[in-house]
Amino acid sequence: MNWSLFFDLTVSGLTLGSLYALIALGYSMVYGILKLLNFAHGDVYMIGAFLGWYALHALGGPVNPTLTGAAVLVIMFIVAMLGCGVLGVAIEHFAYRPLRNAPRIAPLISALGVSIFLQNSALLIFGASFRDYDTFDLIGVKTYNIGQLFFSVPQLLTVVAAICLMIALTVFVARSRLGKAMRSTSFDREAASMMGIDVDRVISVTFFIGSALAGAAGVMFALVFGQIYHFMGFIAGLKGFTAAVIGGIGSIPGAMVGGLIVGLAESYATGYLPQGSTFQNLYVFALLILMILIRPSGLFGRAALQKA
Amino acid sequence: MRRSRATATAALLALGAALAIVAAAYATPERAAAPAAPASNEAALVKCGKTRTIGFMAPVTGPAASIGIQQVHWAQYYVSTYNKTHKTKFKLQTEDTMLGAPTGTAEALKGAQALAGSPNVLGVVGPAGSNEVVGVTKTLKDAGLAWVSGSSTRTSLTTDGTRTGFMFRSVPPDAIQGPTAANYIINKLKYKRVYIIDDQETYSTGLADEVEKRLKAAGVTVGRDGVSQQQSDFSSLIAKIARDTQLVYIPWQLTPKGIAFGNQMKAAGKGSIKLMGADGLFDDSFAAVGSHVYDTNFPLNPKSKIITGFKKGHGGNGEFFGAPTYAATQVVATAYDKACKNGTASRAEVRGAIRATKIAASKSLIGVALRFNRNGDLSTAHKFGLYKSNGTVFVPIPG
Repeated sequence: MNWSLFFDLTVSGLTLGSLYALIALGYSMVYGILKLLNFAHGDVYMIGAFLGWYALHALGGPVNPTLTGAAVLVIMFIVAMLGCGVLGVAIEHFAYRPLRNAPRIAPLISALGVSIFLQNSALLIFGASFRDYDTFDLIGVKTYNIGQLFFSVPQLLTVVAAICLMIALTVFVARSRLGKAMRSTSFDREAASMMGIDVDRVISVTFFIGSALAGAAGVMFALVFGQIYHFMGFIAGLKGFTAAVIGGIGSIPGAMVGGLIVGLAESYATGYLPQGSTFQNLYVFALLILMILIRPSGLFGRAALQKA
Repeated sequence: MRRSRATATAALLALGAALAIVAAAYATPERAAAPAAPASNEAALVKCGKTRTIGFMAPVTGPAASIGIQQVHWAQYYVSTYNKTHKTKFKLQTEDTMLGAPTGTAEALKGAQALAGSPNVLGVVGPAGSNEVVGVTKTLKDAGLAWVSGSSTRTSLTTDGTRTGFMFRSVPPDAIQGPTAANYIINKLKYKRVYIIDDQETYSTGLADEVEKRLKAAGVTVGRDGVSQQQSDFSSLIAKIARDTQLVYIPWQLTPKGIAFGNQMKAAGKGSIKLMGADGLFDDSFAAVGSHVYDTNFPLNPKSKIITGFKKGHGGNGEFFGAPTYAATQVVATAYDKACKNGTASRAEVRGAIRATKIAASKSLIGVALRFNRNGDLSTAHKFGLYKSNGTVFVPIPG
């Protein structure tokens, strides 16, 4: 066995998986509360990557930043997360709220419409050219190793930051008052409303958090892989959705595990299967189909019983 | 269990929709139902007037917009420089083909129909992709329109006889560029271990196939893979490339992807492996990846007045993928001028004038004379050259 290849693929898979997990969380949270598949979520992630790029360049760019590298990174994350959070709330307000009581297909179509709107707006505003984060200039190209396990600073940063964000979210949902309100709304929106919970506010907060996480994922992606463009959210969004379904849509730990499974599957498929890079998406989506057939509720999803 | 079933149903529906979108994105135009364009009188004379309209097809939006916009910029650059020095003017009627988007071929077809229906359009620049060319062939031919593509390289487009007299191109077919790269690797570099990665688009797979075939025939050990144009993460793919590989051939279309790949190779400690691109990656920014980078392209002169003028107006970027589109626009505009000498022209006349194009190398941006053979390929395309980076820009390799 070529252990060097195995470790390289594992590091790559964990990095990708962390990003998918953050995207999946947005899908899961929104689905958990509204039973809506928010297909615009991948494009919010794309907008996050662009907001991070603008923040980076507003601070002098990667070569001559006006602050230290760490401070620039923190500001990039804050800008992307806040910007995407506000965008998520706006999307919910204008595209989904008016359709809240419509048949389920209506908001789904609205989500696809928002996705196309965001893609083309990005094309119009940011242009068609790729933007480069020039991460090597900002935080260096140095690679570290523990034995045959090689990793770079952006990769380590991505995995650690993703884990921290997911733990913070889990604690927030489990322990905070607003988190309790989110769980109540997810369980039964009408009952939650009758108990005095401001459901509209809870939904807005859910969109804000989910979109902010997508914004963070957008910046992390660009830090690791360097480049961003207006169409980058399409496939990433689909893979985030796949991760959410595999983990059990609506489940926060499920989104985390689902993301890692998708990332590792993609990486190992690329490395070990013939023409794996060409057909990596085939393997990822085959995994989705398999999961839906074997365990429709996903790994951590619960099959809720309802009266017939 | 109803809730989980509903979840599964919703997920399956969503997956179906997603797969349909992906499938549509990769659908070949041959399969697309192409409504026939209304037959038009290709010999109908129109008044040329002071301002003439050239049809222009390029992916202005969609996944390939980053290269489409380069073609737009170069075509517009030709038109603006021409308009400054001539009494007659040109304008472009631009149709967005959305190459690579789920509705890409349908959009190209709609664009072709719009151009076919515009009486003032007598010739077309574009489309960009080989699949699009196949998709719009019937519509443009039925309308009597000739077209000059600046980027569709599939060899069979001009050799299968379907478009003879209608389609012309200002780029060499895969059958010419591929052997240029392969022969250099075999005879000059004398490498024995090469890895080829295509970007899953027709342009790239055609070139990759051609080079792979020739290298294998010469006894070179060749690894082969492909990667989507939408992908920016190459880490798993790079992990697969053995450290003793001597050269990685990446005939891709998107320069930023080439740069990202080169940088990620360096980050993985494989920066000493040589990289070779094709004309799609011919750009200073790709050359800046390092002095281990090779490329193939026309013998264009990066210091020429036209290129420096273009760079000045475009933030210092050469956007060389679009350069052959400048040549294509020059061909069509010259044909208009020739056909319009008596004040009127028809599509048939412009077609004939394109076929008879003779533009000297000294007046051609791409460094070779613009003349077409019977099939519609440049008869000078064999003068394709090899370049090596000096760390900043590409420098021609003599011989």
